[in-house]
Amino acid sequence: MGGFVMKLIVMIKTLLGFAPNCEKVNAFLADYMDGTLPEKTAKQFEDHIDMCKCCGPYFEQYRETIDMTRCCGEVKLPEELVEHTLTFLRKNAK
Amino acid sequence: MEPDRLAFLKMRSPLCNLFYMATTKATVSSAANSSPTKPEYDLEALLRGDEEAFEYLVVQESPRLYRVIFRILGDEEESQNILQETFLQAFQRMDTFRKESKLTTWLYAIGINLARASLRKSKRLSSLNDQDVERMQPSFSKGMFLESPHHWDPLKLAEQSDRHRLVHQAIVKLPEDYKTIVILRDIEEHSTDEVAKMLGITSGAVRVRLHRARGALRSMLDAHFSHSNPSWEGLS
Repeated sequence: MGGFVMKLIVMIKTLLGFAPNCEKVNAFLADYMDGTLPEKTAKQFEDHIDMCKCCGPYFEQYRETIDMTRCCGEVKLPEELVEHTLTFLRKNAK
Repeated sequence: MEPDRLAFLKMRSPLCNLFYMATTKATVSSAANSSPTKPEYDLEALLRGDEEAFEYLVVQESPRLYRVIFRILGDEEESQNILQETFLQAFQRMDTFRKESKLTTWLYAIGINLARASLRKSKRLSSLNDQDVERMQPSFSKGMFLESPHHWDPLKLAEQSDRHRLVHQAIVKLPEDYKTIVILRDIEEHSTDEVAKMLGITSGAVRVRLHRARGALRSMLDAHFSHSNPSWEGLS
């Protein structure tokens, strides 16, 4: 019940322009993920994400996208990469 | 930052967590064998042209720098050439290093510039342009989402090998500016400020482009992972 009332309050605040709307929240995403949003704005962001049926799933997918990007596969290093580079430098860096 | 918010930020999908833990352990263990902590470079020795100090830099930084260059170029031989050229230029221009940034930031900036120049020269263009990226951002009306996002299918998300391929294909399609930022920030996990210094742009510009790049990637992945789309036409 308390959760429902909180969501209702956030919704009313958003509609009246006292809390960020979906577009504003979307613009905050990168800053939020970077941890650079001011504390009050971050709280408003989290309240909106918790309440909004569009921004909640979008945020989850945005974060999932970052996770998948981070894990998108290793780059195989060529054999003797360092040795070849050092040999090249010894020959050319004069 | 408050601990609970940090925990919220660091939440990962379970499958990604397993992969992340496995690779992190591997990295930590291999780093432990070669160097116990982040390598420290003898700047004074490097600035006076000490070859031994420079070789240490080459040994320590080659793998990571090669990965960045390779992810930009996608070509093994050219990436090796660019890596060698990067270290050569760094050695020859060491006296221009002003200590205003980290040595590695300066070194990576050289490598990234060379890789991007090579990409332009080879005319291997990305398939998306800035307008495409713009179109892939969510649309709003009076500040509200125009369309509710489709839910992603957990079964499709669980197909790990397919997922890696799809994400890789999506990244390759990004315009070069966006791709480089995704590589540096989300894959190699450099800080926003470091990326800004490497690319010679502001931190704000990095965040804006990163946000758009992630939005475009999400949109491309949505075409595959959402319940309503059985095929991935966006990346075929």
